[in-house]
Amino acid sequence: MKKTSRQLQKEQTREFLLKTAYEYFSEHGILNTRMSDIAQAAGVSHGTVFLHFATQEALVTEVVETYCGKIALRTHELAKSCTSIQEVLSAHLEGIQEYEPFYTRLVIENRLLPPAARDAWINIQSAVSFHFGRVLERTRGEKQVAALPVSALFNLWIGLIHHYLANGDLFAPDGKVLERHGDTLIEYYMKLIHYETEEEKHGREAHESQKGEMLLRAPWREAGRSAF
Amino acid sequence: MKTCISCGMPMTKPSDFPLEDESKDYCVYCARPDGSMQSYSEKLAGMTGFLIRTQGLDEEAARQLAARNMAKLPAWKTTAAD
Ligand SMILES: [Zn+2]
Repeated sequence: MKKTSRQLQKEQTREFLLKTAYEYFSEHGILNTRMSDIAQAAGVSHGTVFLHFATQEALVTEVVETYCGKIALRTHELAKSCTSIQEVLSAHLEGIQEYEPFYTRLVIENRLLPPAARDAWINIQSAVSFHFGRVLERTRGEKQVAALPVSALFNLWIGLIHHYLANGDLFAPDGKVLERHGDTLIEYYMKLIHYETEEEKHGREAHESQKGEMLLRAPWREAGRSAF
Repeated sequence: MKTCISCGMPMTKPSDFPLEDESKDYCVYCARPDGSMQSYSEKLAGMTGFLIRTQGLDEEAARQLAARNMAKLPAWKTTAAD
């Protein structure tokens, strides 16, 4: 059935309000924002906003569900062909980066959101943990990965990233936390979860001694008392 | 693009479908080995297990989250309301 122009206009207004609210939330926070702020930012009357969203909770839920759905889908698209943990982590950060200001608000406010909105937020983590787990299981057969459950390795990563995002004002005052720290965090995390095989250890030691680093070593280490 | 009616996963390539049968409306993760679709209780157990295994959630919290997510999907909209 063909939609009337009035129906189309109503849908367009709704889309526009969702996008305006998304942008406003990204900049000012989600729960701090009043319906009248959205109306003003969209240049419409208070009544128009209420016509589409009966309550603030309804508006927040729909914006968060819509954009979390986009982030989860984008992350899934980027991660589905990944074959190494490092690739999955890069895909994860790339997916977030496109929505970084809004995602950061969610990191800070998700516990306080309406239940359906919070579920949508957790679903982003599930999209990532799905690919993380898939690739980790494959990696375990090929590489030495720290002997910890998938959930522990996943939460270690998420905790690290979310800590940096939640405190972005301290780590990157310009607001671009992932651009500034993303690659380094991936590198550190990879070093943390992959332990060296004997072969890799010998290769590294040969390389270090070549560089003359043996000279810098403390004598007690040479005496075979390595505590590590 | 098709989206799995049972878990919501986007299905974009043949290997996303059960036995690579692209006429199916549910994904490879929602199928039994013979290609038929898992029941509500099988899928609920599967999703709960996934949340526990990959994110370390508490069992009951994971089960409730899985049930709320399933209630929004076309395959289970009516089942979950029972
Ligand atoms: Zn499915």
